[in-house]
Amino acid sequence: MIGSLAYCILGTLLLGAVAQDTAPQIGVNDSLWYPYDETLLLKPLPNNDLLLSFTFQLQSEAFDPAVSSHSFDVYEYYTTFPRAIPPLLESTATRQFHLRFTRGFWDALSWGQLPHGGKQAGASGVELWSLVQAADQEQAFQNWKKLANSLSGLFCSSLNFVDESRTTFPHRSYASGSASPLFNDTENLYLMRASLPNEPICTENLTPFIKLLPTRGHSGLTSLLDGHKLFDSLWNSISLDITTVCPENGDSLCHYEMEAHIDMATHVPSALARNERPIPKPLDGSSLRCDTDKPFDSYQCFPLPDPSETHLKLSQLFAKPIKNGNLFANRPTKICADVDRSAWTAYLSVDDTMFSTHDNCFELSNDQNESGSGYDFVLESLDTTQVSPVDPVPIHVGRSLTGNGQDRGGIRTAFHNDKDTPVKLIYFESLPWFVRVYLSSLQITSTTSSQLQEDDIIIDKYYLQAADRQRPAHLEFTMIIPAHSDIVMTYQFDKALLQFAEYPPDANHGFEIDAAVITVLSPESGSPVYEMRTSTLLLSLSTPDFSMPYNVIILTSTIMGLIFGMLYNLMVKRIVTVEEADKIMLHSGLKYKLLKLKEKLLKTKQTKID
Amino acid sequence: MSTANLRKWVGFCFIAIYLFVGVPLWYKLTTVYRASLPINYIESLQNDKFQDIHLVIPVYVKSDTYRFPDIHDAVQVQVNHLLNSKEQRVPWSLQILPYNETVQNVEEKENQFHVVTLMLDEFIGYTSAYDTKETVVYYDDAAVLSNDLPFFVAQTLVEHTFQLEWTHLNKTNEDVSTNNQVAISYDPNIHLSITLLSGDGSPVAWEIEPTLTDYFSPFRKFLSPLVNFTVDSSIVYHNDLNLHSLNRSSANVTWFDLSHTIDLSELSSMTYYPEDSALNLAIVFPSVSSTPNGLAFVNGTRIANSVIALDWNSYLVPQWGVIIINKNPLQPNSVISEDYLEPMMYRFSTDIFHLLGLTEGSQELLSPYITIDSFKRLTILQNLDKAIETLWSLVKLTQQFQGMSIPREVSANVVEALDLRLEIIDLLNDPEKGGDIVWNNALRLSNELVKLCEKAFFNGEMVQQNFFPQEHMIAVYLPLLGPISAVLFFGFYNVMKEKNEVKNETEREAAKEKTELEEAEKLHAIDGEDEIMG
Repeated sequence: MIGSLAYCILGTLLLGAVAQDTAPQIGVNDSLWYPYDETLLLKPLPNNDLLLSFTFQLQSEAFDPAVSSHSFDVYEYYTTFPRAIPPLLESTATRQFHLRFTRGFWDALSWGQLPHGGKQAGASGVELWSLVQAADQEQAFQNWKKLANSLSGLFCSSLNFVDESRTTFPHRSYASGSASPLFNDTENLYLMRASLPNEPICTENLTPFIKLLPTRGHSGLTSLLDGHKLFDSLWNSISLDITTVCPENGDSLCHYEMEAHIDMATHVPSALARNERPIPKPLDGSSLRCDTDKPFDSYQCFPLPDPSETHLKLSQLFAKPIKNGNLFANRPTKICADVDRSAWTAYLSVDDTMFSTHDNCFELSNDQNESGSGYDFVLESLDTTQVSPVDPVPIHVGRSLTGNGQDRGGIRTAFHNDKDTPVKLIYFESLPWFVRVYLSSLQITSTTSSQLQEDDIIIDKYYLQAADRQRPAHLEFTMIIPAHSDIVMTYQFDKALLQFAEYPPDANHGFEIDAAVITVLSPESGSPVYEMRTSTLLLSLSTPDFSMPYNVIILTSTIMGLIFGMLYNLMVKRIVTVEEADKIMLHSGLKYKLLKLKEKLLKTKQTKID
Repeated sequence: MSTANLRKWVGFCFIAIYLFVGVPLWYKLTTVYRASLPINYIESLQNDKFQDIHLVIPVYVKSDTYRFPDIHDAVQVQVNHLLNSKEQRVPWSLQILPYNETVQNVEEKENQFHVVTLMLDEFIGYTSAYDTKETVVYYDDAAVLSNDLPFFVAQTLVEHTFQLEWTHLNKTNEDVSTNNQVAISYDPNIHLSITLLSGDGSPVAWEIEPTLTDYFSPFRKFLSPLVNFTVDSSIVYHNDLNLHSLNRSSANVTWFDLSHTIDLSELSSMTYYPEDSALNLAIVFPSVSSTPNGLAFVNGTRIANSVIALDWNSYLVPQWGVIIINKNPLQPNSVISEDYLEPMMYRFSTDIFHLLGLTEGSQELLSPYITIDSFKRLTILQNLDKAIETLWSLVKLTQQFQGMSIPREVSANVVEALDLRLEIIDLLNDPEKGGDIVWNNALRLSNELVKLCEKAFFNGEMVQQNFFPQEHMIAVYLPLLGPISAVLFFGFYNVMKEKNEVKNETEREAAKEKTELEEAEKLHAIDGEDEIMG
């Protein structure tokens, strides 16, 4: 067959070689584009902070889930969609997965709501949840473990530490907006979630992320992304969502969709200062901004607040311009500024020419940038305190550890609703097995009303008890927080003792506990409208002195040795009366030997005298 | 004094319990579980890996014009003679059988046997078929008269049809494997990744779908008994494999420069293949901005004997795949046609044979069915070799680390592997069996064998236990065993010494009394003398 194949190829080849002169082999199609969309949204926040929100959207080629890739006619085609993802999804039967790398503190009081309604921000650390198709929970878990391990390798993160003791099967939280297809009707979809609280996020997580995108940092918005700038911010979040989409009209072809976000909130004056002075050094006296209304001289200076005038260039913030836009994308690269137009102006600067638009949105098409010097984006304002209004968060939630001592503790969660309407929410918590929760100690108190009962606040409870080393405790409460109220929820727990080998290398650092996830539901439809996470907690467990086991072994062994020695001697040694002993001692023992020695010495002396 | 014997008896009992109960118990409780492995058998296999193999390939002789009732016997004699002329590393032989109806019944499209067809012609010669495992030997009447035909058939078979076996299975060839520096190690599942790289960010397209379906699907199907391919294709922008850093104006870019410049890291990272091995085809176009006039060193590739593609050069990267470097950059919105890709695919499929180890150097694959069949057999032998190597490594490992546990599972895997090995050898040695189904089955089993051996070797429990070293164990037990042993043995020593001491003591006392007596007598005598004197 290969012979016929070879001949066939050779035949066509020869024909092709002849045809080469007449027909061009590389044609041109002017309507070429690939599904790729990228946008950057800049939003000045109060206190000279700035929110930068990068969004990337991709779509894979269509595929038929019923056909195996081992079939001779099946090929996988990729254009812009990352090649690493689909085989991973196929080998683990994953329909969707969501990965979050978040670090820093989001100041909800002054910045308002998280970007994208909080749906793209995880808890501090790494968070992963996915929807896996499997025949039973055991198989689902195996697939999930494989997925976590593979992603661990792909993103250089410690996701390989995700095991059964960290995995929960969320009940009502983490509901995905889109329905996922089931390729085999006899199987089910399992939603699993795990997180590595407070895991450090670093450049090594960002680099693979950029490599997943078709521009790979060479053009468009990805050319701005740089680990030094991103991780130097007050708050940053990298998120990746992959979903499988199958048309509902019965068409057998499905495709994958990928949505990636990078959000960062940065304090502009410090970011710019870092550019000027990479190594922090005290300012010269001349460049200090002192309040002249107050006394100031070489020795004292009352600093003024940050200047309220700004002329901010994106190239200053990232230390490089945006290289060309994306030519192969179906939509041009877009940069928008969400600013208060009365106080701010936004420009796109290309080759020293400034452009402005009525909606402060700019599309980067390559026709404008002939010199190839890149694009720059400029934000100007005379009063940076005037920013476009921030959306207030529906609810404030704070969570902390209570109690002291090494054997028990408690968790206190405070909900503060300053709205005129009650807020309905789902409170999700996953606690490690060594935190032994007493649900009976759960108490709801209100600082604003003493009439409230527990049942008025928690309308639905889901609780799955932890199993030692096998499963974390899983709490999911549906709650209603009344208008203008402060609700405090507390419960107590015991701290379990860990086995010697279960302590991490830095055991005295403490144990990070997952953040609680709060999903605010719409009062009308009951669908999620806002998501937020509390900060993670650091629990200190009783930590042994790690040389202790060896000390114990040595000490007990010595005592056992002593006891044994005594018993043994009692049984084996000759027992004599005191008289007998004295008699023996007369002919042996130290005294006798000394006497003998003395005698000897005297004898020699005597002989010498003689 | 009366308790002395009892105390000795007690001391002796303690020592006896210590030695005969304590030590074995301690040993039993602290030793790690080490399942027994058939070490001697594996060692003997390692010393002579093919000791129980005698590969027999049945070949059927068919004659259309004349009937030669004893031709197969005559050929057999010649074949044996020829095979014996070279010392064999792996014993192998051909079983020449007459082509009859039973063979005809068994034989079908999917289950072919080696057949030699004798054809009367005006000249003497042979051809190997493209699409079957048939060898046609042409002879003339003179050859029949001089009885040269059996020798000629034997020579054709041994030196041409079974050329791979003939070269690889003799003593001069060090290794059974056809593996060389270029080929990847054999794996039944291989991923093929075909990438179009453009140095720019302008959109490009390629007619890869029809090209692959037309030219690659038959190829995949053909190789499927040997290798299962999964194939993906992708377009990568802004990556010209670092070609821009070459001196673009110079035409004397050497192969050496190129191998130092090309950067394949980005193609190999950020991938996820479920298969263990992967081969790549990278079709790279330089960037317009850095190479507006094209790469001068690209001067075309000879594809078949006569056809030359002028626009690209193809390079084989050992154990990685093929890079095709195009001379000219792609213009924006280019669509690379099927015609352009075809020769590349042809070139790539020939190179795949090199990368798989099917052919070496500039060899052409003229009778692919026969070659693949031989390759299957060599791969089976190679797998057997690899399996024994793995088992031997396992044995060495377990012998080197005496403190390492050997779980029962490992032992079971080893036994299963050795049984499987014998099953494969039965298939290889049976002169009656030699159809495609048999070889495919043997190959599948040998792949399983390799997997099984690796499973035994890479048993997680076995390696984990190695973290608990012998010194550690001594350090933990010494505080207990040290004092107890010291007390026990010194106590025992003292008890045993006591008798002597007592004896010495009585003797000493007696001697002392004696001397005292003598002294007294002396004194007495002196006194007496004095008295006499007095």
